[in-house]
Amino acid sequence: MVEEYNTDTEVLLRRTWKVRGKLGGEGKWDVEVGDPIPDVTNAETIDIIESKDQPIVSRRNTRINLEWRIRNLPYPIDIYSINVNNDEKCIIVKTSNKKYYKKLHVPELARLTLPLEQNNIQASHSFNTLIITYRKPQMLLDMEKEWFLELKNVKHVNTMPNECKTQ
Amino acid sequence: MPGTSEERQPTLSESYTTVFAQEEMAGTSPERQPIPSESYATGDVLVAPRTASEVIDIIKWKTRGNLLLHLKCFKGDSLAAAQVQEVRSITRIERIGAHSHIRGLGLDDSLEPRAVSQGMVGQKMARKAAGVILQMIREGKIAGRAVLLAGQPGTGKTAIAMGLAQALGPDTPFTSMAGSEIYSLEMSKTEALTQAIRKSIGIRIKEESEIIEGEVVEVVVERAAGAGGARLGRLTLKTTDMETNYDMGTKMIDSLLKEKVYYLHVYKFDLLIYFDMAYLWYKGGSGLRGVWRPPPNLVQAGDVITIDKATGKINKLGRSFARARDYDATGQQARFVQCPEGELQKRKEVVHTVTLHEVDVINSRTHGFLALFSGDTGEIKSEIREQINAKVTEWREEGKAEMIPGVLFIDEAHMLDIECFSFLNRALESDTAPVVMMATNRGITRIRGTNYKSPHGIPLDLLDRMIIVPTAPYSQQELKEILNIRCEEEDCQMSNDALTVLTRIATETSLRYAIQLITTASLVARRRKANEVSMEDVKKVYSLFLDEHRSEQFVKEYQDEFMFNDGAGGEMAHTLKTTQ
Repeated sequence: MVEEYNTDTEVLLRRTWKVRGKLGGEGKWDVEVGDPIPDVTNAETIDIIESKDQPIVSRRNTRINLEWRIRNLPYPIDIYSINVNNDEKCIIVKTSNKKYYKKLHVPELARLTLPLEQNNIQASHSFNTLIITYRKPQMLLDMEKEWFLELKNVKHVNTMPNECKTQ
Repeated sequence: MPGTSEERQPTLSESYTTVFAQEEMAGTSPERQPIPSESYATGDVLVAPRTASEVIDIIKWKTRGNLLLHLKCFKGDSLAAAQVQEVRSITRIERIGAHSHIRGLGLDDSLEPRAVSQGMVGQKMARKAAGVILQMIREGKIAGRAVLLAGQPGTGKTAIAMGLAQALGPDTPFTSMAGSEIYSLEMSKTEALTQAIRKSIGIRIKEESEIIEGEVVEVVVERAAGAGGARLGRLTLKTTDMETNYDMGTKMIDSLLKEKVYYLHVYKFDLLIYFDMAYLWYKGGSGLRGVWRPPPNLVQAGDVITIDKATGKINKLGRSFARARDYDATGQQARFVQCPEGELQKRKEVVHTVTLHEVDVINSRTHGFLALFSGDTGEIKSEIREQINAKVTEWREEGKAEMIPGVLFIDEAHMLDIECFSFLNRALESDTAPVVMMATNRGITRIRGTNYKSPHGIPLDLLDRMIIVPTAPYSQQELKEILNIRCEEEDCQMSNDALTVLTRIATETSLRYAIQLITTASLVARRRKANEVSMEDVKKVYSLFLDEHRSEQFVKEYQDEFMFNDGAGGEMAHTLKTTQ
């Protein structure tokens, strides 16, 4: 697992997990939070893939909210119905025109075994993007606070290549 | 005489040409006019004013020289089954190889060899033996058996091995190599052998994989602008809740398009007759009836399919209930299913078959990624193999995986040397060993790498661990049968007397030489604008091309006039020796 934080705002920018196949090998990165990693595999070798104009889900958390952005969704806001399903532990996004359906899992809450609450959900739609926000419950906020205190002790790795000398 | 017990097809000759010409003349009356196949609509009932066997004969005669598929028989009527057996059922894109006419071992259900079947002729004892071995492999209980196919050149050893591979089907790993392939500068002999052995063992494993499951809304394939533009494919799938467009790669487009031929379903014989044979059929009238419809495995709007995202394998589950009313488009055998619900993409347990070698390659870190591009795996560390073996045993104990021992076929086994043989001795004892099949055409000869002589050039201790299947030279009747099959395979129509002459050539020289003459003779015949190869054509190529025996004669006769042969041969050899 790899996490990237913004040290100023203490917000998680990216959290990715390496998933290995059963047969072994290198495995692939599965992005939980943050923008998806662009796929480098050649288009020639791919058999089937979603078209570029199809909806894409990406996660981006803020300090107080969990946030999902679904791009390429042109339908107006009243088309969507966003409901919590605690049996399957996910948020279900439906469209009344039967064009889009997605189960959004919430691993942060699943780890704390917290139930999902409909009241915490808010949604807005603009520029072909549906933004769903879920207010972080107090328990999660507390845990994150502790976690950042822990992170303070971690030595920073400077990823900027400032030691790259010019001639 | 062997080879006559099965009913032979009448040779399709001029008689049909005249019948057909007459009919084309007669077909001018409006109701008997054959309609261009493009104008047939799904569900049209068409009639051929002939009996089934006539129809089959005409199709066979007409399709010579055409590589597309025409006839495919489903299980069912015995008449159709017997007749259609000879007709290939797959689209031919590959070139015609020496053994491309072989489609199986030619055995019946009780593993008794049929005289002429699946491209196999004669060699009954050897085929029966191969059938027993086939059963042994299928049961998969016994590991590490070795089989030796021994016989003179041109007696069908490789053909039997190829037939066995075909009979085993695509799920059982079958590795074919020549004995000399192990001599490489990049890899040690034992490494090459180990890889070959591990390529021959499959593991069937359950793995969670991304599956797209939905109903097809539309399949569109179009060519990008400009000459030779890449093809673009788009597939729209839906569930009851959503709809998504997918882009398809070239491979996927090909697999979807390949089957895009309509067919005629003849109820009486459960027979499928493909597109370009449609000129046989008329609308209305009496005779053999059929219904015009798309082939069963064509993916079209209204089908419910699953696509394995990793492998791109498409599986058709059935037709959606919503489309149940276009019954004619689907036929009796169509299965109706509900349109899936929820998300299109799901995670499901799928059974994969991989070979041990593939697992090795995935896990050998140094090569893992690059190996996919170069295809060159180099040597794989023995620690990795041990780890994988341990892992596989663990999976098997937990019931997560199943081992499928396959076949390693080593042609020209006398080219292996003593080190390889001793390695094989050891490798066969492992419980993960495949069935090793070897073929050799040598008699008592030197074992490579030693000065000892042994039968087949294989050391006695290994021979002792083998079951040996001998192949015997073909009889004249069998030779004729093989030549006949080859003529069909090479799309060459040969007159009866030409075939007799060719058979005679095969008995006197060799079968391989006679087979070489088929295409050459047909080219000669084509030069004089004849459709059929006559005796003269065969005679002509016989005089044009020498067989091995006549070539030897020729060399002996004119030896003095060849290079380096002015009585200095001995001297040459001597100087060579001194310079080395």
